[in-house]
Amino acid sequence: MVLSGRAEAFEPLVTPYRGPILALAYRLTRDREDAREVAQEAFLKAFRSLGRFDLSRSFRNWLFQIAANEARDRLRSAKRERAAFEAAAREGTAAGTAPAPEAGRERRETRSGIMRALDALGRREREVFVLRDLQELDIRETARVLGCSSISVRVNLSSARRKIREAIRRDFPHLEEQR
Amino acid sequence: MTCRKACKLMPLFAGDDLGPRRTRAVRAHVGACPACRRELEELREALSRFKAAATAESVPDWSEGEWKALMVRAAGGTARGGAEKGAWGGRALLPRWAAASALGALIGLAVLSALLRGPGPGPADRPEPPLALADAGRAQDVVSMTMVSQETGLQIVWFLDRNFDYKGEQE
Repeated sequence: MVLSGRAEAFEPLVTPYRGPILALAYRLTRDREDAREVAQEAFLKAFRSLGRFDLSRSFRNWLFQIAANEARDRLRSAKRERAAFEAAAREGTAAGTAPAPEAGRERRETRSGIMRALDALGRREREVFVLRDLQELDIRETARVLGCSSISVRVNLSSARRKIREAIRRDFPHLEEQR
Repeated sequence: MTCRKACKLMPLFAGDDLGPRRTRAVRAHVGACPACRRELEELREALSRFKAAATAESVPDWSEGEWKALMVRAAGGTARGGAEKGAWGGRALLPRWAAASALGALIGLAVLSALLRGPGPGPADRPEPPLALADAGRAQDVVSMTMVSQETGLQIVWFLDRNFDYKGEQE
């Protein structure tokens, strides 16, 4: 129905994924506000692109793909903004004006230790790890969502698991001690 | 299989992400090697604790109002248009497509203009050697080398004969 243009049919179609998409966006962006925007944009894009949805594919994985792409774009632009901000702050300091103490910290959140462990991963490693180990897609699904090869997924997954294990050893020794 | 190789494959083995042949090889090695078995157990334990902690962690959720507003926005988007390009293909891909076409056209024009221009100036078009070297022999027998100082911009032209013997210079 929704493919034939009935907008009211969209909500029941995506409602089962509202939580998972937001959680995925949060784990990829590591920022609640960004995650909300990424998820919103992902749903809007999904709705606009429904006509091109390949019915032989998994709808959930298709949504994940849109959300992962959106999160990647968001992180890229956030990185650019941060670089521009830091350059401006350096210029301000050089010119003798003190940077605002709260500048750059407005959107920073107190992150849990878990998220700090995810911070140890590179972008691709985090995407692969989140999709495979936290969202529980298999290797082929993960490769398809990320638009890369299964080999690339395996390489990044192996490296991500190793780094997570090291981060847990370093940052959560109590978890190791509980063994 | 060596311990080194087994350790390399361990993260994928721990999540059952290896192919059957390698899975068998690692399993056989781990069965026979207590150190690698301990390593595997620790890795599995760490990953499982991480997953449990990540699952228990509070992730943001939609309020009903937010969700309804989003759905209304999506429906509004359709009403606006069919005219609105799909964000997926339209907005994201068109600029790339346009840029690639423009680049192709530019390269085509450059190649075409190079072909139409024909060969560059031949030896006959080259400037005559300076008058000061009139006695150095025929023009084609003289080779000049220009040295430019990057610091001062000073240029010195050395003139050599066909045997590369120094014949003079000009600033």
